[in-house]
Amino acid sequence: MALSVLICDDSLVARKQVAKCLPQDWDVSVHFAKHGEDAIGQLCDGKGQLLLLDLNMPVMDGYQTLETIRTKHIDTNVVVISGDIQPEAHARVKALGAIDFIQKPVDAAMLQAVLHKHQVLQKTEVVDTNLPYAIRDCYQEITNIAMGQAGDHLARIMNVFVKLPIPNVNLIEVSELHMMLNDIEAHDRVSAVCQGFIGGGVSGEALCMLSDSSFGDVAKILNITADVDDQMQLEVLMDAASILIGTCLTGIGQQLDLSLRQGQPVVLGQHRNVSELITANLNKWRRTLAIELSYGIEGYDVQCDLILLFTEDSMVTMNKKLAHLLEDEA
Amino acid sequence: MSQTSAVTPIKHALDDVLEFHWMMDMLQTVDVGIVVMDRDFTIHIWNDFMESHSGLKAADAKGLSLFKVNPSIEPAWFEQKTKSVFDLKIRSFMTWEQRPYLFKFANYRPITGTEDFMYQNVAISPLTSANGKVDFISMMIYDTTDKAAAKKQLEALQVQIDEASELS
Repeated sequence: MALSVLICDDSLVARKQVAKCLPQDWDVSVHFAKHGEDAIGQLCDGKGQLLLLDLNMPVMDGYQTLETIRTKHIDTNVVVISGDIQPEAHARVKALGAIDFIQKPVDAAMLQAVLHKHQVLQKTEVVDTNLPYAIRDCYQEITNIAMGQAGDHLARIMNVFVKLPIPNVNLIEVSELHMMLNDIEAHDRVSAVCQGFIGGGVSGEALCMLSDSSFGDVAKILNITADVDDQMQLEVLMDAASILIGTCLTGIGQQLDLSLRQGQPVVLGQHRNVSELITANLNKWRRTLAIELSYGIEGYDVQCDLILLFTEDSMVTMNKKLAHLLEDEA
Repeated sequence: MSQTSAVTPIKHALDDVLEFHWMMDMLQTVDVGIVVMDRDFTIHIWNDFMESHSGLKAADAKGLSLFKVNPSIEPAWFEQKTKSVFDLKIRSFMTWEQRPYLFKFANYRPITGTEDFMYQNVAISPLTSANGKVDFISMMIYDTTDKAAAKKQLEALQVQIDEASELS
């Protein structure tokens, strides 16, 4: 996938001049913006992994643009190119998150040196450490659609109204997973089932957690009339997990044109501390894509969390598939 | 490939039949229990594994209701279990932790095995017909006795350790 470079300057001459200074042999798609607001719009559309930004512009100037990028958590590298040579300007843009400052008029050697210094030139091959806005949006949308289908199915099979969760899509580190799970733990004690899935170059694990207080109500929904003892809780958990994981993965798989096989689910533990589960089971991860869904069911006290964790390798395949989707839409 | 010869299509058809034959053979011999049922839970396939462990011949099992073959399966419970498979086309799972077995079979290793019966994992998958609907489901039964035995031993050991550390 070609890196996209966004050049933001109010002057047409300056934009052309900067474009000319980009390394000749560089496989990039170049986009232009006339002012900060224009640039933000394009960044949100996934253009501009590198932003070459002027400071003095109408509508939204360079400083405001940097601020907006920061508050919106937009993933981009910003190099400021400006005629403003005051040391104060230099320091201010750095403080606002720009990776470097180039003085106007820009020349090719200078720009190349800066790009090289910050390893922007090689960046195309690396899996993005932060999820680009457009990709995240895409994952979110795909999960939303999958959830919509799943919700419809669940509602029909269980005769309940499912409050559709808003998926939370993130690249997380192990430590963050700890935090996320601790947060869930804070509510109640939980039981969890995990299930591996694989297919078409994508693999990962689904984690379904049900808080202990939910068991009674879930059993009611699933028409289980027997007393909810430990054995029955496991049954309830397994049934809920099968349905939630199954519908969600099928929905995501359909949209990405993948057929995801599910392995046999494994019980992670009943009434155990979640962090205990994690330290015992999940010590070999570094960073992973996580889609987090928190289910509620109207009229019932049910707290059920589904977390889909994809491996780092899978992201390369998935991002490629998503890139096709994005192109199709454009 | 030459299409002029009249023999070719017949040969292809024969190849298909032969392929079907060895594929069926594979389903029969695989060391996993396979049961195919329709919406009424009438048995259509009862493979060799099921035949050997249950003692019920495939020819006899075919056409019978699952609940007749195995009266320990509660119909309402099983219908609930398979509803999502038929309606949502997703797989449904049972683990030995949740329910040690669905079919009470003897341990595969009657002499050296420590457990009396076979622990089972069960996966029920939809089989999509040509019209896109799910008219049949397949139930796979996996022998997980070794896993269950190992986990039991581990837990027993854990209890011993805990007790020992409490005493000391």
